[in-house]
Amino acid sequence: MNKEKDLDDIFRKGLEDPVDEAAFREEDWAALQQMLAGQRKRSGIIYWLPILGSVAALLLLFLGWWNFKTKTVDHQQPLSHVNGPAKQGHTGTGGGPIRQTIAPKQDSALTAGYAKTPPAGTRGSKSNAFLPQSAAGSRRDTTGQLTTESAGERRQFEVLSATQGVMPVSGVSVTTQQVSKGDLSVLIGKVIGLSPSKNSKLKPKVTFRPQYAISVIGAPDLNSVGGFSDGKVGTNLGLLFSAGVLRKFTLSTGVIYSAKPYNTSFEQYHTPYTFPVTPTNVTADCRMLDVPLDVDYLVYNKHQNKISFGTGLSSYLMVHQNYVFNYAYPYTIGPTNYNVRNNGKYYFGILNLNATYQRQLNSKVGISFQPYLKLPLTNVGYSEVRLQSTGIALGLTWNLNTLTKPIGK
Amino acid sequence: MGEEELHQLIKGCLKQDRKCQKLLYKAFYGFSMGICLRYAGNRDEACEVMNQGFFKVFTHLDSYDTSRPFKAWLGKIMMNVSIDYYRANLKMAYTEDLEKAENISDGNLVDKNLNYNDLLRMVQQLPQAYRTVFNLFAIEGYSHDEIAAMLNINAGTSKSNLHKARQKLKQMIFKADSSAGGASYNSGMDCTPIVAINVVDIRGVFLNKGIRE
Repeated sequence: MNKEKDLDDIFRKGLEDPVDEAAFREEDWAALQQMLAGQRKRSGIIYWLPILGSVAALLLLFLGWWNFKTKTVDHQQPLSHVNGPAKQGHTGTGGGPIRQTIAPKQDSALTAGYAKTPPAGTRGSKSNAFLPQSAAGSRRDTTGQLTTESAGERRQFEVLSATQGVMPVSGVSVTTQQVSKGDLSVLIGKVIGLSPSKNSKLKPKVTFRPQYAISVIGAPDLNSVGGFSDGKVGTNLGLLFSAGVLRKFTLSTGVIYSAKPYNTSFEQYHTPYTFPVTPTNVTADCRMLDVPLDVDYLVYNKHQNKISFGTGLSSYLMVHQNYVFNYAYPYTIGPTNYNVRNNGKYYFGILNLNATYQRQLNSKVGISFQPYLKLPLTNVGYSEVRLQSTGIALGLTWNLNTLTKPIGK
Repeated sequence: MGEEELHQLIKGCLKQDRKCQKLLYKAFYGFSMGICLRYAGNRDEACEVMNQGFFKVFTHLDSYDTSRPFKAWLGKIMMNVSIDYYRANLKMAYTEDLEKAENISDGNLVDKNLNYNDLLRMVQQLPQAYRTVFNLFAIEGYSHDEIAAMLNINAGTSKSNLHKARQKLKQMIFKADSSAGGASYNSGMDCTPIVAINVVDIRGVFLNKGIRE
C-alpha cells in the first residue's frame, strides 16, 4: 500500500508544478481564434435551440390539452334518441343492433418522429474528433505543421452539447400524415420549422455503444373523454425497458398496469344495447395493460441531468371494465351498471407525447420525472370512447450496462 | 500577474475583446497545458483539449465568480474538458494486456531520480482509460466513487484501472532505470547501484515565459 502511495506521490509532486512549462505557440492561439469566430456566427440559434425545443413541447402538451378541453363544448348537444321499449333488468349484453353514433369516429393516424440533424458530416481520420467548435478546423498533424480540414470533418457540437447543455445543430422534427386536430397540426408544423432542413442527414458512421435500462414507474394521471375539465384521477404502475439505439435516440417499451376511471356523457358511450331510459352520463372504471412503444430524443445532457422529448404509440389490452350508468332521476328503471372482462385489444391506438427529465444518482441508478399526454387515435373499451390521459410519471431507472470497461481496439 | 491586472483582462474578455483573450490565453497557457498534457497522449492532443477548455472559458466567463481564484476555476475546466475528451474517445481507448506487468516487484521508488518530463512521458504512455483514472485519483485526489460518477464507470473499474496504471508506471520506471543506469534495483544482487543522472531537458524553459509579446 505504501509503495503505491509512494508511486502516487512521485507523480503528484513531479507533475503538479511543471518546471518546464509548455511554451506558447502562436498557431494554438490561431486555432482557438477560429473556434471563437465560428462560435459567434452560430451561437444565436444554437444556444436557443434547447429552450425553443422545450417551449415547443410544452406548447404542444398545453394545446393538446386545450384542444380537448374546448371540444367538450361541442359535445353538449341535446339528447335526441328515441328510446325503445323498456327492457327491465337487462344488463346490456343482448341489445339490439342500433349503435349510437353521435360522436363520429375520427380515425386519425398521427405519426411523429424525430430527425436528428448531425452537426457536420463525417469524422476525421484521426483518432479523436474532439474539437467541437473549430470553424475552419486548423489543427496540427503529427509533424507539428498546421493542416486544415473542413469544419464538416469534426463532431463539432456533440461534446459541447454533452458538457454545456447546448443542443447540437438539430431540432425536433415531427412529421404528420393525418392529423385530426387542427391546432395540433399547426403546432407540429411549427416544431418542424425548428429543424434545419439542410442538415437533415443522419451521421453516417458513428460507433455507438447501446445503453440498456430498466425503469419502474408510477404515475397518477387524469383521464377523461372529450376534455380534461371533468377528468378523474387514475393510477399507473409499470415496468419499462429502454435501449439507447443511437447517440440521442432511445427506444422504450414495457407494460404498465393502468386503472383509468373516467366520466363520459352518454352521447359518447357506444353500445348495441338500447337503453329504456337514456342515462345522463356514465362513470367508468377501466383496468388495462398499457404497452407503449416510444422513441425519445435527448435534447439536453449535462452532468447528471438529461432532458428528452418522446413520442410513440401505446396499445391498450383491457383487463376489466366497469360502467355505472347515472340517470337524471334517481329512481329510473334501467341498467345501473355493466361489467366486462378481458374484452378488447387496441393495438397502437393511443399516441404518446412526453417530456422527460432524468437525474442520474450514480452510474447505475437514476430518477425520472415525466409529464405526458396520451391522445386517442381510436376508440377504446367496450364503450368505444376516445379516452385521453395526462399525468406525471415518476420513475426509478436502473442502467443495465454502465461503461464498465473501455472497448477493445 | 497581479490580481488587478487579471480582473482587467477578465473584464476585457467578457466584452469579447480578442486582445484581452489572447493575453489571458498566453498567461495561463503553460498552466493549462500542464493539466491537459497529463490527460492527453501527446502535446497536439493536449492542445486540442486545452483550446476546447479556453473556448469554454471565453464563452462562459460570465459564470465565473470573481471572488474565487481564477486559476482554480480554469484548472477545473481543463480537467473537465479532459474528461469529456476521454468520454468522447472512449471507443478508441483500449486496455493492454498486463500479464507481463503482474510480477513486478516493488523496489524502492523514492530513490528514483525522475524529472517532470520523464514522469509526464510515462503517464502519457499509459492507455487513456488508465491514465485518466490515475490522474484523477493520484494527482487530483478524487475517490473511486467520485471518479466512477465522473467517468460513468463502476468504482470497481476505477480501482482496477488505477491498479493497472500503477503496475505499468512501475514497469516503466524500472525499465527506464535499468536502461539508464545499467543496474536494476530489483535484481537482488548486492551491488552499489549507479544512480543515473538525468539530463534536465531545458528546452523551452527560458522561452516565452513572458506573457507579453
